[in-house]
Amino acid sequence: MAQRDVERFERIVLPHLDDAYTLARYLLRDEHDAQDVVQDAVLRALRYFDGYREGDARAWLLTIVRNCCLTWQRRHRSDRLAVPFGDEVIERISDSRETDTRAIERSERAVLERVVAELPTEFREVIVLREVEGLSYKEISEVVGIPMGTVMSRLARARKRLASALGLDVREAS
Amino acid sequence: MRCADCHDAVNAFVDGELLADEQRDVREHLATCADCRREHEVLVATTRTLKEGLVRHRAPDVLKARIRSALAQPDTFAPAADPPRRSWMRLVAAGVVIAAASSGLTVATLRQPFAQQRATTDVLASHIRSLMPGHLVDIASTDQHNVKPWFNGRLDLSPTVPRLDSLGFPLIGGRIDYVAGHPVAAVVYGRRQHVINVFSWPAADASALAPSTSAEKGYHLVHWRNAGIEMWAVSDLNLAELQQFIAALERSDSTTR
Repeated sequence: MAQRDVERFERIVLPHLDDAYTLARYLLRDEHDAQDVVQDAVLRALRYFDGYREGDARAWLLTIVRNCCLTWQRRHRSDRLAVPFGDEVIERISDSRETDTRAIERSERAVLERVVAELPTEFREVIVLREVEGLSYKEISEVVGIPMGTVMSRLARARKRLASALGLDVREAS
Repeated sequence: MRCADCHDAVNAFVDGELLADEQRDVREHLATCADCRREHEVLVATTRTLKEGLVRHRAPDVLKARIRSALAQPDTFAPAADPPRRSWMRLVAAGVVIAAASSGLTVATLRQPFAQQRATTDVLASHIRSLMPGHLVDIASTDQHNVKPWFNGRLDLSPTVPRLDSLGFPLIGGRIDYVAGHPVAAVVYGRRQHVINVFSWPAADASALAPSTSAEKGYHLVHWRNAGIEMWAVSDLNLAELQQFIAALERSDSTTR
């Protein structure tokens, strides 16, 4: 591959590295695994770069990252993270130097991260692609390889689970 | 619109994925139906909580450095081919090997002073410790103009921090460490998945010493002394590439000094 193509790749694809890493972090739930898989995915993307014409470079890169994550998970199937980030969460919540508001904010965030981490992968990926990465239904359907109708029904089911886990669906007393 | 239709469409409504007339139908239904309005409110609260609460991660500098390093490798995307090495690099690397073989190694084996043995142990321990999460660098930067000044006032020497990206050794950052009883500069470079720690501190002995190599626990250690500074490089990288790195480091050092 010519130097010119590598430069074009760096210009078009590398700006989406944060998004790629974010997706891998949520799918793999481990920062070191996410780094290894994203590096592998980017180098694969470079090899397939001839096949990329015009269009949404971010969705294209996220598709490759997602596939690499799923392959990695199949290869390293182990449920060592039954409770994703236990100690860290407890430590954060009990840090008495923080003001109450900040502590509550942090613990809410920790609960949220945990609830999302415990979703099955097929729900977690559509939630992250929609709520964190801000992809449209059409882009999600391309990245995940499912029809747009399925994107919508998976999102609906995932949100219902999350609302229930976070206690947001409780009917108010009024 | 019936409640069942509204239920099916409400997620797309919240996401702004409906056509204009569908959007209007849902809005009109919500105005008249308390149950569907309740469902809509829960949904809005849920997506807002997720959007505001979930972290957008930043790709760590180490990852960026690793990727840049891999992209700078001519053999990264031609795995089948024999990697074409630049001939001048091979010459420089060969020069280092010859120099090491003719003087450094003999010196190292003939008189292995206690201080030297201690430095070897400490340098290796520091390298291994640096590979633990969060220990690699105190200042993470790929820019030598950030890393070099960072050491000012923290140490009594200013370490060499050349840019070697173009040769496939991106700068990752720097930190202060303790080796053989005193604070030393550790400058960190990457090479594909590998980390190279370069340690330097003022030498007690002013004489120059050509690079000498040793191996321990799967790591290569190279020690040399130049212009009154003790230098160590440690990595699990293969020896040929580590020597190539040291040659590049020394070459840029002599041009900046």
